[in-house]
Amino acid sequence: MAEATSITHGGHAFHDEHHAHGEGHHDHHHHGNFWTNYVFSTDHKVIAKQFMITGIIMAVIGIGMSTLFRLQLAFPGTKFAILEFFLGKWAPDGVLDPNFYLALVTMHGTFMVFFVLTAGLSGTFSNFLIPLQIGARDMASGFINMLSYWFFFTSSVIMLVSLFISTGPAAAGWTVYPPLSALPQAIPGSGMGMTLWLIAMTLFIASSLMGGINYITTVLNLRTKGMSMDRLPLTIWAFFLTAIIGVLSFPVLFAAALLLMFDRLLGTSFYLSDIFIQGEVLHHTGGSPILFQHLFWFLGHPEVYIVLLPALGISSEIISVHSRKPIFGYKAMIGSMIGIALLSFIVWAHHMFVSGMNPFLGTVFMLFTLVIAVPSAIKAFNYITTLWKGNIHFTPPMLFAIGLVSFFITGGITGIFLGNAALDIPLHDTYFVTAHFHLVMGSASAFGFFAGIYQWFPKFFGRMMNARLGYIHFWFTFSSLYLVFFPMHFIGLGGVARHYYSNTGFTFMEGWTDVHVFITFAAIFGFVGQLFFLWNFFYSIFFGKEASLNPWNSNTLEWTTPLKPGHGNWVGEIPSVYRWPYDYSKPGVKLDYLPQHVPDEEVEYEEGFPRPAVAPSHSPSKPLKVEDVETGH
Amino acid sequence: MDFSLLLGSIQLLLALIVVMVALNLYLVFRLKDIDPFAKWNPSFLNGGGLFLFYLLGMVAAVWSSASVYNDLTLIVNPASEHGAEIDRMFNNTMIVTILVVFITNGLLFYYSWRYRTKPGRKALYYSHNNRLELIWTLVPAVVLALLVFDGVGVWHKIMSDPPANAIQVEVNGKQFAWTFRYPGADQEFGNSNVTFINEGKGNELGMNLDDKRGFDDIVTRELHFPVGVPVNLNIRTRDVLHSATLAHFRVKMDAVSGITTNFHFVPTKTTLEMREDLGDPEFNYQMSCQQICGGGHWNMGAIVVVETMEEYQAWLNQQRTFIASYKELNPSFEATTPVAARTSGTTPEIAVR
Repeated sequence: MAEATSITHGGHAFHDEHHAHGEGHHDHHHHGNFWTNYVFSTDHKVIAKQFMITGIIMAVIGIGMSTLFRLQLAFPGTKFAILEFFLGKWAPDGVLDPNFYLALVTMHGTFMVFFVLTAGLSGTFSNFLIPLQIGARDMASGFINMLSYWFFFTSSVIMLVSLFISTGPAAAGWTVYPPLSALPQAIPGSGMGMTLWLIAMTLFIASSLMGGINYITTVLNLRTKGMSMDRLPLTIWAFFLTAIIGVLSFPVLFAAALLLMFDRLLGTSFYLSDIFIQGEVLHHTGGSPILFQHLFWFLGHPEVYIVLLPALGISSEIISVHSRKPIFGYKAMIGSMIGIALLSFIVWAHHMFVSGMNPFLGTVFMLFTLVIAVPSAIKAFNYITTLWKGNIHFTPPMLFAIGLVSFFITGGITGIFLGNAALDIPLHDTYFVTAHFHLVMGSASAFGFFAGIYQWFPKFFGRMMNARLGYIHFWFTFSSLYLVFFPMHFIGLGGVARHYYSNTGFTFMEGWTDVHVFITFAAIFGFVGQLFFLWNFFYSIFFGKEASLNPWNSNTLEWTTPLKPGHGNWVGEIPSVYRWPYDYSKPGVKLDYLPQHVPDEEVEYEEGFPRPAVAPSHSPSKPLKVEDVETGH
Repeated sequence: MDFSLLLGSIQLLLALIVVMVALNLYLVFRLKDIDPFAKWNPSFLNGGGLFLFYLLGMVAAVWSSASVYNDLTLIVNPASEHGAEIDRMFNNTMIVTILVVFITNGLLFYYSWRYRTKPGRKALYYSHNNRLELIWTLVPAVVLALLVFDGVGVWHKIMSDPPANAIQVEVNGKQFAWTFRYPGADQEFGNSNVTFINEGKGNELGMNLDDKRGFDDIVTRELHFPVGVPVNLNIRTRDVLHSATLAHFRVKMDAVSGITTNFHFVPTKTTLEMREDLGDPEFNYQMSCQQICGGGHWNMGAIVVVETMEEYQAWLNQQRTFIASYKELNPSFEATTPVAARTSGTTPEIAVR
């Protein structure tokens, strides 16, 4: 705790306490032992790595599950030894059990949406980049930050344990709609598995709230001198808005989960009414299943942006750096992110057009939903204009960022169909929806995760990842994701429903099996591609080429820290900030980048280029902060 | 003779050879410090690769769309009045989105290729252009507004109150089957509730036996409509959520426990006409469930028959009334029994979990 509180006392105090005993030792963790440095660490960089590694493990399991159920979809009823090997009694004789098929898709969705793309993405990059890019020694509260990770860790463990219990994990879809999720008689997964799911999600929500409050506070209060809000890198804006969305919407999911818990364990009737199941009439009456859907999607829709915005922030930064060009329309980018953040709260019922809610609500939500396409379009156009007349360096992070934009466009555009209530009637709950959100939310955000890892690996571990393996990984992943999800639009338009164990139950769906076979092979191809990444990632941590201090010639502050920064990030004073982060290829400046921390007087200009006059008002100013008053600075 | 072992061994051997050759090459290059790919230019390969990917991708997308188009049940051959409207709107939206995807992805990948790094290239310092940004804010806004107004109109028409002359059908979902109920000669449904369900005894829908309006109701496993007449589905469930989906008619509405939901539409093609259109003499309309409802979700279907009014009436007349089937299974049943005299045995006790 002492360490955590000292950080909040501002840069100098922290430095004096911890670094007074001599310069030069700063790229080591000093103080404390193995446990406090690597396990229960309050250092945001260690916590970020913990989130990253946990996220990668959960991703391997989550994607692995999808390859298992893809086998069933492509070859319904065929025996696969691999299914029996992994699933045991859930795949007797190698044929997947229909109930467990639903359990697999449920857990695949839960793992990927919450554990990989929410905690894995935000947890890793918000934690890592916020203090480094705004010029802070650590998060506002290192201790709460540590708790955030350990709540997430516990939650992951409980979710994993639920895979191994005798009735199987939750199986009502990742949206866990009651009554299916409330009644163990309805599906085995709604027994103990669902209880564990709810407990795990409760811990997850707590973790997410602790993280979010920290991110918001840190961004608002701990920016270094000169780092005004309009000089923040777009990554930070994205993480900041993501945290706000999360803090405002996750508690609603908590309420929904709590009421569901009451219905399941205490016999209340919030979501249940008039039910006859397995030969008995239940006493529940007066509840509304639609209420749960409203509560769920009040988080569920903002959740899409919780997943997507950090990826968009990361790609904004990367595209600008590797195009050696300022991001086009910096303020429009911020404005559109704010617009998306606000609108994300008033579009949730577009998931419920045919849920039985009042059709008038459908009209209102259709309007807002299609409005949200406007800021999204602005972002896409701005990315493309940033590339225009750039000097594009095709590094692995850049490739993934470009791929992200492509997925964002191709996947996002089908939202115009689904957001239109009348068109949603036939399309709802078909593979068209699956294709839509796997491209725009799944693939785009996963590419944000990959791009971020390739980009900041040198800062994480002081070493470079192998670029060639990165290219191979990109081409495998990029092509396989399109090959998997593009044909899914066809299956959906063919009328095949989501969540179907097999498309052989209906004659008009039967013809799509060959497309399912194609998709399954593409998915396995993509899964193989990830082995290049895993090898590259773990090998490079230990044996990668040593990185230089600023390997991408980037402007932001994280590259001013030592190669392997210790707790506290900077040796000596935190650098001050003199300009926005996107001065790439500025006319007259000698280099094609102009870091934020270089004072105007020290900028090197090309020969013969007149040095612009520096007005005194340009000197950095820092808004007065609470801790300044308290400590009498 | 079984050659599978032989073939398997050959495959394994070939795989081993490939791996050994690759390993050897790697070691030779490593030992001699040769980089065989040193001259490969990642800018050229990746930038070119992206643009090539776009070109090939577009060809593949057009080719695959064209080859499956006729099988896209949800956008061709609508079998209802509003279905034709939805399909028209789908096509309009499709034109807009294809243009956007084609142009924006095209620029993205073309610029990636065109502005790849080369010695001596310097990027243009170009941070914003308010007029340009205003244009690409307004254009999508206007296009979307047009689509929204169209959508709102169609949505309202579909979701309006059912016309008075609509044929009323009750659609009942349960794990994992659909049961249908027609109101019978009196054109009124009898009261029903889950508490009255007596399964295996001819009352799986929970008809209230005190309500004589229900006696002439007709309970069926198949759904029949006359063509050209409005139909109103009254959708219910007795357990978890289901979704009554008629893909060919562009109909979908969740069955929600505790309430009755509605969807009304006008079928425009009989089953026979659809068989001719599709060239498939075996074809049948089907109702599916499209809201995850448990292990049998994927197989929860029912046959739907659209026929002429005469055929429909004839079919309806052949069906037995609820009370006829019920009496067969419960010979002792007396319709006039007052409520108070009945033992609690006929109404199952509410189970307390």
